[in-house]
Amino acid sequence: MRKVLKLAQREYIASVKTKGFIIGLILAPLMMGGSLIAFALLKDRVDTTDKKFAVIDRSGVIAGYLAEAVDKRNAEEIFDKESGRKIKPAYSVEVVAPDESDPRAQRLSLSDRVRRAELHAFVDIGRDVVHPGDDPAPAHIAYYAKNAALDDLRGWIVWPINDRLRQVRLRDAGIEQEKVRDLFFWVNVDGLGLVSLDEGTGDISDAKKASEIEAILVPILMMMLMFLMIMMSVPGMLHSVMEEKTQRIAELLLGSVSPFQFMIGKVLGGIAVSLTSSAVYVTGGILAVRTMHYEHFIPYHVLPWFFAYMLLAIVMFGSYAAALGSACSEAKDAQSLTFPVLIPALFPMFVYFPVVREPASAFATVLSLIPTFTPLLMLIRQSTPEPVPSWQPAAGLAGMLALTVLFVWAGGRLFRVAILMQGTPPRLSNILRWAFKG
Amino acid sequence: MTGAIVLENVTKTFGETLAVDRLSLSVPKGSVYGFIGPNGSGKTTTLRMIMNILVPDSGEIRIFGERLRKSDTDRIGYMPEERGIYTRMKVRDLLRFYGSLKSGRNVRREVDKWLEKLDLADWGNKKLEALSKGMRQKVQFIATVVSGPEIVLLDEPFTGLDPVNTEAIKDAILGLQAGGATVIFSTHDMSVAEKMCNFIFMIFRGRKVLDGPLAAIQDQYGSDTIRMRTDGGVRALANLEGVERVNDFGQIQELRMARGCDPQNVLASVLSRTAVRSFEIVKPSLHDIFLRIAGPAGKEANHA
Repeated sequence: MRKVLKLAQREYIASVKTKGFIIGLILAPLMMGGSLIAFALLKDRVDTTDKKFAVIDRSGVIAGYLAEAVDKRNAEEIFDKESGRKIKPAYSVEVVAPDESDPRAQRLSLSDRVRRAELHAFVDIGRDVVHPGDDPAPAHIAYYAKNAALDDLRGWIVWPINDRLRQVRLRDAGIEQEKVRDLFFWVNVDGLGLVSLDEGTGDISDAKKASEIEAILVPILMMMLMFLMIMMSVPGMLHSVMEEKTQRIAELLLGSVSPFQFMIGKVLGGIAVSLTSSAVYVTGGILAVRTMHYEHFIPYHVLPWFFAYMLLAIVMFGSYAAALGSACSEAKDAQSLTFPVLIPALFPMFVYFPVVREPASAFATVLSLIPTFTPLLMLIRQSTPEPVPSWQPAAGLAGMLALTVLFVWAGGRLFRVAILMQGTPPRLSNILRWAFKG
Repeated sequence: MTGAIVLENVTKTFGETLAVDRLSLSVPKGSVYGFIGPNGSGKTTTLRMIMNILVPDSGEIRIFGERLRKSDTDRIGYMPEERGIYTRMKVRDLLRFYGSLKSGRNVRREVDKWLEKLDLADWGNKKLEALSKGMRQKVQFIATVVSGPEIVLLDEPFTGLDPVNTEAIKDAILGLQAGGATVIFSTHDMSVAEKMCNFIFMIFRGRKVLDGPLAAIQDQYGSDTIRMRTDGGVRALANLEGVERVNDFGQIQELRMARGCDPQNVLASVLSRTAVRSFEIVKPSLHDIFLRIAGPAGKEANHA
């Protein structure tokens, strides 16, 4: 054991005392959460360039109202009330008379104006939008722009158009709008957790309001953190063993330690590296969240499971990776094996969304009990507000433990045979033969 | 001297290849034992089996009379032929790491002592990648011996070293022997083996072909070699009756005589062709014996 710890210590120091580790420690969460952070930082950064659009109003009742709505918006919404800074673009409307003789040519002409940047977009309002008949074609409204799918103007224009349609429909029905104001009062359904009994006081506590942060963001962040820990140590083990083999360092070490001790030393070093990184991230994360007064979102009850899953995942994937690294004779072998090594850790990333949405479904339950997926998927399920039956994390952990023992055993056998074997490519048949027949 | 290492009928195969074939060997304690043999003959495999890195298919290896156990490797220092080393570590850190892996005592003091001894004290805090190839080889030698092993196995310790470093390693090996250690080293340099080794062992195609003190080995071949220097050089020695082979070293030539050949007749023949400056009847050199066994003619004979 002393030798294993010496190897692990060297491995740990060699990994941690590098600029790459420090930079990686900072950059890795930035890379993984980069899009979220960028979205949060840049969400208020909008293009404030004024936008002009044309309207072909075949109904004859909307264009005027739309122009008024645009004027009202320009007056009330585009400047920040406190700072006076322009925060949104001003819109302007050009009402174009419909050319019923050749509507396609008219649309082409307006499209060319959009291409020449004379217009931002144009809207073609169908003749029968107020009272759609059996033929749906004249009851459509079409919005033409260079990027119509993601266009703020299109999102805004829907509201004044529908307001106007409602007005006209009520008027035509002979109803005064003031009398039916409640008709248009939209009622939301609030999401709440369950009411529970406080066993200490006997009081019935109020249900907590369900939050998207708690339901989606927290589980995803926990999963990303686990994935990051696996990524920071496991591929490194494969490459470091391959390097020690190809640079003929392994033989010198094998003069002092057994191949099994060698492999376990590597894995323990990897665990120490991951514990260091995770301690930094978890502590830093908790402090940051508490500073922002969001501590009620921290899933403290999941953290012990996180560390238990992480330890077993690194031993499981690490012994597998180190053993495969011992089968590589050159760098390109290791490159081609990196992806297969990571598949068990990557797969849960493809299915996390249905698991987050329905953590108690049979799909989520079964997948999270597969030992290679447990560290990510069971963790997601435990991080959602929906409680997981207590036997399931225990069963997941037991499955991981069993598979870890198998991987360490088979990895040790593979490692013993392969570490001194030069020039033999790591074919699947060779790997299986070395692992199970020795 | 008692046997520090004893191999009894040790055999090792790799797939269809027989690497070591029923090898028996007894390495006396406190000796310097030279392993010679052509490339691929089984030297490294034998050393790896003694280190317990490879396990024999059959046969037994004993260390100081006891069957080899994994823990025995702490008593053995091993320098493999391939000089792999952690190049990003500092010299002193690396040596302490290897010393501590072997359960060495006073590792820190020993590291400093050896760095001083091999003229590397100023490089102790430098990274290995900053050192020349020769310096790295000396560091690797120190890594092998820093734990104070009772047995030292060195696979090609002199390869790639300049004369100064060769001398330093040679002195260090003899110093280890003087301190009671048993040293086995493999080499392709026959003159080094001749000068340094108490015993020489030659392996060829996995089998032992020579084993014993140099003089005893040479006695097996008798005094069948003439070493001479002539004005005519090698051209004057062509087609001499009773001479099987002429080995030309440039300034001198060695002539191997056929069985029953009279050296006086050879001398007379040469004198009739050119002036002879020196003439000596000697035992064959280790180099010559090696060639007789593993050279083209020897291979054919062995193969037959």
